[in-house]
Amino acid sequence: MTDARLNNSVFLIHAYLDGELSTAEALAIEQRMAEEPALAAERDRLETLHRVLHERLPKQAAPPDLRRRIERSVGIHAVNSRPSWRALAASVAVVAVLASGTTWAVLQPHRGGDVADAVVSGHVRALMAPQSSDVLSSDRHTVKPWFNGRIPQAPRVVDLSSEDFKLIGGRIDVVERVPVPSLLYQRRQHLISVTAIPKRTAGSSPARGMVDGYNIVAWNDDDVSYWATSDLNVKELQEFAAAFRAAP
Amino acid sequence: MSRDDQTRFSTLVLPHLADCYALARWLTGNGTDAEDVVQEACLRAFRAVDGYGGGNARAWILTIVRNTAYTWLRNNRPAELVMVDDLELAANDSAAATPGGGGSSEATPEASLIAKADAGRLKEAIAALPAEFRETLVLREVHGLDYREIAAVTGKPVGTVMSRLARARRRLISELGTKDS
Repeated sequence: MTDARLNNSVFLIHAYLDGELSTAEALAIEQRMAEEPALAAERDRLETLHRVLHERLPKQAAPPDLRRRIERSVGIHAVNSRPSWRALAASVAVVAVLASGTTWAVLQPHRGGDVADAVVSGHVRALMAPQSSDVLSSDRHTVKPWFNGRIPQAPRVVDLSSEDFKLIGGRIDVVERVPVPSLLYQRRQHLISVTAIPKRTAGSSPARGMVDGYNIVAWNDDDVSYWATSDLNVKELQEFAAAFRAAP
Repeated sequence: MSRDDQTRFSTLVLPHLADCYALARWLTGNGTDAEDVVQEACLRAFRAVDGYGGGNARAWILTIVRNTAYTWLRNNRPAELVMVDDLELAANDSAAATPGGGGSSEATPEASLIAKADAGRLKEAIAALPAEFRETLVLREVHGLDYREIAAVTGKPVGTVMSRLARARRRLISELGTKDS
């Protein structure tokens, strides 16, 4: 094998491990790695590097008062002596106030429907909260029962780990004053909220759209509307929707 | 400043503050400078929030943090901002990302040796990378952005992202595979 061909294959191994290849390309490089020990050894090194980076690099949290200083610098809070947890709660409240129908409609008449705004607000609150879920578990047999007794109908919870969408938990959102279940999945560092709404609440057909930088893919199955929200790109979010719908 | 802008800022930027801080910390190398960069970047983002045209909000704010960090480094620590010339690198490209390629002295260690690296060594090895290799690696491995998102944040073609990422990882593998460094 020439240097140029070897080099090209090495780039493809990176792209393969990063999930950037099409199915056909992935199959081709898998076959090459099976045939050539040098490529297989490089894959092992890269996989190991990826694993140690994820397991051992310390997660860096922002200093607790950084948010407060930034909020003050853009005039979000006039009062500057609050402890940081109250500043956090207040900033969440700004978003929450706008999630209630009428205020939002007055301020943002040009954007999507109330349901889209509500599911995005729920997702943003999850991103900002110290804990992104009310129930944190990758086990669907833990997540689903948690909803029982809290809302009339527990949502369909599916295992999509084989599609590289990891279940991390669930929470209850409020859409048009009705409590509804949201499940939280993760691909890479992107969180995906999927909110299950009785169809009469949603009153809207399946669609994709965007609110404030978050992609939304919505669809109807049986008598439920599902709304998936994420900063994941729309292509992968549609993959998520397809995997969710196809799951047993 | 309008209440509306503040709301958009709260929705678009604040959820990603930890991401912003982590990126700034990797680019500047310490927490104090990272806080300055994030504060400055947030002010820029706030002034621009009215004209934000949609798209991935996280990639948008990370782009602002990244550009602010480089401006900050140019003004405060220009000596440390040694950029590797991509053109020069391209000439050596056939060897640069290849294990043991081009007759270089780079080691091709066993995976088991890489597996022994602790957090301190990982941080040192990443900090020692040239700035554009480091940012590409961090955006991928720490922030989990895909190639297109990294291309958007760094303003480089996807092909450049791929080769930078490959070379950054090769340097890390080579460094971590060296015993007792």
